[in-house]
Amino acid sequence: MISKKNSFTALSLASLLALAGCAGESPDDSGSETDSGSGDGTQISFIHWRGEDKAVFDDIIAQFEDEFPDIDVEMNIYPSEQYQATGQRMLTDGSTGDVFTSFPGAQFEAIASAGFFEDLSGEDFVGNFDENLITVGEKDGQQLALPYQLVFNMPVYNKGMFDELGLEVPKSWTEFQEMADTLLENDIVPIAFPGADIGPNQFMNSMMMNNAPDEDIFTKLQSGEESLTNEWWVKTLEDFQLLEQKGYIQPDALGTSQDSAMAMVANEEAAMLATGSYHMASLLGLNPDLELDLMAPITVEESEAQYEGINTATFMLAVNSKSEKKEQAKEFIRFLSRPEIASQYANETGQHLTVNGVEYESEVLQNTAYWIDERTTRFQPRFLITNAQIEAAVLSSIENVLGGAEPMEAAEEAQQIVDENRE
Amino acid sequence: MKISKMIYLFFIPGLLLYSIFFIYPTISALFYSFTDWDGLSDAYQFVGTGNYERALTGDTIFRKTVGNNLKFMLVVVILQTIVALAFALIVLKNTKTNLFLRALYFFPTILSSVSVAFIWSFIYDPSLGILNQILELLGLDVLRQNWLGNADIAIYSLAITQVWFHAGQMLIIFVAGLQAIPEDLYEVAKIEGASKWQTFRKVTWPLLAPSATIVIAYTTIQSFKAFDLVFAMTGGGPNNSTQIIATYIFDVAFRSYNFGYASSISVLFMIIIAAITFLQFKALRSDRISY
Amino acid sequence: MLFRKFSLIIYALLILIPLVMVALTSLKTLQETFRDPLGLPDDGFQWSNYSAIFQEQTMAGYFMNSSIVTLFSVVLTLFFASMIAFGITRMNNWIGNLLFGLFTLGMMVPAQVNMVPLYSLMLDLDLTNSLLGLILVNIAVTLPIAVFILTGFMKTLPRELFEASTIDGAGNWQIYMKIALPLSLPSLSATAIFLFVMHWNDLLYPLLFITDNAYKTLPLALLEFQGEYSTNYPMLFTGVILASAPMVIAYVFLQRFFVAGMTAGAVKG
Repeated sequence: MISKKNSFTALSLASLLALAGCAGESPDDSGSETDSGSGDGTQISFIHWRGEDKAVFDDIIAQFEDEFPDIDVEMNIYPSEQYQATGQRMLTDGSTGDVFTSFPGAQFEAIASAGFFEDLSGEDFVGNFDENLITVGEKDGQQLALPYQLVFNMPVYNKGMFDELGLEVPKSWTEFQEMADTLLENDIVPIAFPGADIGPNQFMNSMMMNNAPDEDIFTKLQSGEESLTNEWWVKTLEDFQLLEQKGYIQPDALGTSQDSAMAMVANEEAAMLATGSYHMASLLGLNPDLELDLMAPITVEESEAQYEGINTATFMLAVNSKSEKKEQAKEFIRFLSRPEIASQYANETGQHLTVNGVEYESEVLQNTAYWIDERTTRFQPRFLITNAQIEAAVLSSIENVLGGAEPMEAAEEAQQIVDENRE
Repeated sequence: MKISKMIYLFFIPGLLLYSIFFIYPTISALFYSFTDWDGLSDAYQFVGTGNYERALTGDTIFRKTVGNNLKFMLVVVILQTIVALAFALIVLKNTKTNLFLRALYFFPTILSSVSVAFIWSFIYDPSLGILNQILELLGLDVLRQNWLGNADIAIYSLAITQVWFHAGQMLIIFVAGLQAIPEDLYEVAKIEGASKWQTFRKVTWPLLAPSATIVIAYTTIQSFKAFDLVFAMTGGGPNNSTQIIATYIFDVAFRSYNFGYASSISVLFMIIIAAITFLQFKALRSDRISY
Repeated sequence: MLFRKFSLIIYALLILIPLVMVALTSLKTLQETFRDPLGLPDDGFQWSNYSAIFQEQTMAGYFMNSSIVTLFSVVLTLFFASMIAFGITRMNNWIGNLLFGLFTLGMMVPAQVNMVPLYSLMLDLDLTNSLLGLILVNIAVTLPIAVFILTGFMKTLPRELFEASTIDGAGNWQIYMKIALPLSLPSLSATAIFLFVMHWNDLLYPLLFITDNAYKTLPLALLEFQGEYSTNYPMLFTGVILASAPMVIAYVFLQRFFVAGMTAGAVKG
């Protein structure tokens, strides 16, 4: 027993010593993370949630640091849920997130009311952005944030497959159903719907855009003037029910994640992906032969349709008002808004941007660029819900209907939660 | 027996760290539960017991999360304890095979919860997933399910994942407890001609009670705090059917920016866990005395 | 007997199948993963995921940080918790019970609650972006579970052992070092494994307190494989395997230790 005890003590001692050794070394390697060269300039922190953009940002930052040797940019990326939880927390003392990003909607409102946005109105680089697309970053006449990406939150469809089957883009709800029936006859799932994650929050936008053309509908819902049990939302839920009952979306849709919905479209088992333009690049990565375009379901008669699609200006760049390095932070945003840098970002990430003069090189970006100014799109209605609990209730009612509940019943259940959470 | 006052010195380092980095922030949270703080700005106002009243009387989702949590807890506690104890008894002796098996059964525990969530989302996927494909191979098509997408069963699917994740850990505690039981007690039982079941009831179980208490209490608490898994696998959906209190607190605090209200839910959450754990302690202790 | 063997094999398969799936996925391309998630890779095993991760220089630093934080946290938590458990067992009165209750309550506090005040505190103490800060928080957060387990076990030790030594004139410190610790070896090892797992995999606190790449730990690094709109599963699973490898090795090592502790107990019994 004694020898056992001694071996325990010896082991603990040994590990402590080993630890002490490691710990002694650690402070020295703090320099190793700067692959940028210079090192002794001002360091600014840039935080965002786009893990897929790491490589292109690394490259852009390297160019920036070459041109501005006095500024080092340290980038930190968090998945979007974590970003919500900890991102803003880090803004509170100004040490992190000299340049940060924000979603429009609830997050933008909360950060604005906490006063973390530096007013960017009047900065020269604001002029590099399309003025119609950046209004979402405005509040009380101040330009608090500059959206960088322009996303179309509406289904991506396999244009090649449509051409082959002689299908046209439907202009009304009746035509949409006819199109879906044709696809079903050809053993193709019309819509791959990732109900387990982003499906409901993306698809609700195009499903409701013409059922409730009033852009203030959610403001009214939050103030109590409107109710989910009214025609506009119950009809939307009925449309969802129809998609499910007729098999226009794949079976077990609520268990399908965006990755496996993407796989269905990439493998040409499904014709549409009910997410958004941001998935076009990933789909082409999985199957380079696809020919893609965007299409939103028109849920009303052709004559009543006011909108053809959904847009969101997001990934809003902002400067932390508590930062001590605001000038350097602005320099970085100015750099990102240069047309040639923006073009690089756009082409390498496969995204449309809000910056003027961007040259889209890829075929898919060129072919869908007409959505930017030739089509009537509506700003993503979901982002006009500023109360996250109310947003969750709205989305839950969709899941409830897809899970088998009656639309009216689901609407009432959700309205109850809306009422509990109204200010 | 008089014990030297110096015994208090044993508490100092631990208690000091615990007070600064745990008790103090927790008490701050308790304080905020009486305010409307958004978690970001400098200003807040006192709202008295308003947050508590809202949670207890006017919050449908909170009530739903408590129910979900109880379902999840019951399944996990019962299933995990039985699996861990049964297998601990089988792999108790320190043979080579048993050592290997113990290491294997423990393996999932060393994965991070985010990894486990990824793995199991992949397994449960209705079309790509391995589970439905295996069921089809075995000709058990009837059992095919939309494991995480069906609001009626999703919470149980998560419970299974939780058991897969942690049963091995509990097994280790049982093994440690069982091995602490002196061999000679078993020999006495053998000489007296006790059956296997009698030996278990009269020798093993009473001496196992301490580790059983640990396992059950810890499993209960763990099941209430299974935040990472639920958050990463279903995010509380579909239709809040897997929303548990911990994920709801997160939503309220960080998505709705209602930190004050989230704190009051957390206080209620602590009270619920404390009550359940207390009842379990009482039950297990009286069980021990009756021998 | 047959039933026993059967259940052992079933349980083993339940664990092995998902792990084999993870290993296979890490050797495929992303396209293959979605085309045929369960099949063997058609174009041969893709070791490129592994070499890609190894080429990332910072990975070695993340490993080092994780090791430092985990080892210090585990050793110190065990040390402080076993002292507290010993104190509670020795006192065996209402003060001891009160302290036990204070720690047990700590297990019930959801981390989502105190993380905001804790963050402000760490800022005030200038402990963000510091491995020391992480270690201190880790100790405070896992003390409750360690005290809980160790007290449970120490209470099962025969009291006469301690009392006899007191009569011999041994002080508390000697009793703790020479009797309580060696006899608690099985539970110490079990707790060590517990703590090891928790600290190695912890994501929440590094996420909150570390933004400087020089101090990042492995779980934080894993997050980088997760994009907003798509996840690179082969890369992610490669990361999962590499991040777990040291744990497996350590567990094999601790397991042997664990058994040694058990035999020590048996000699005494």
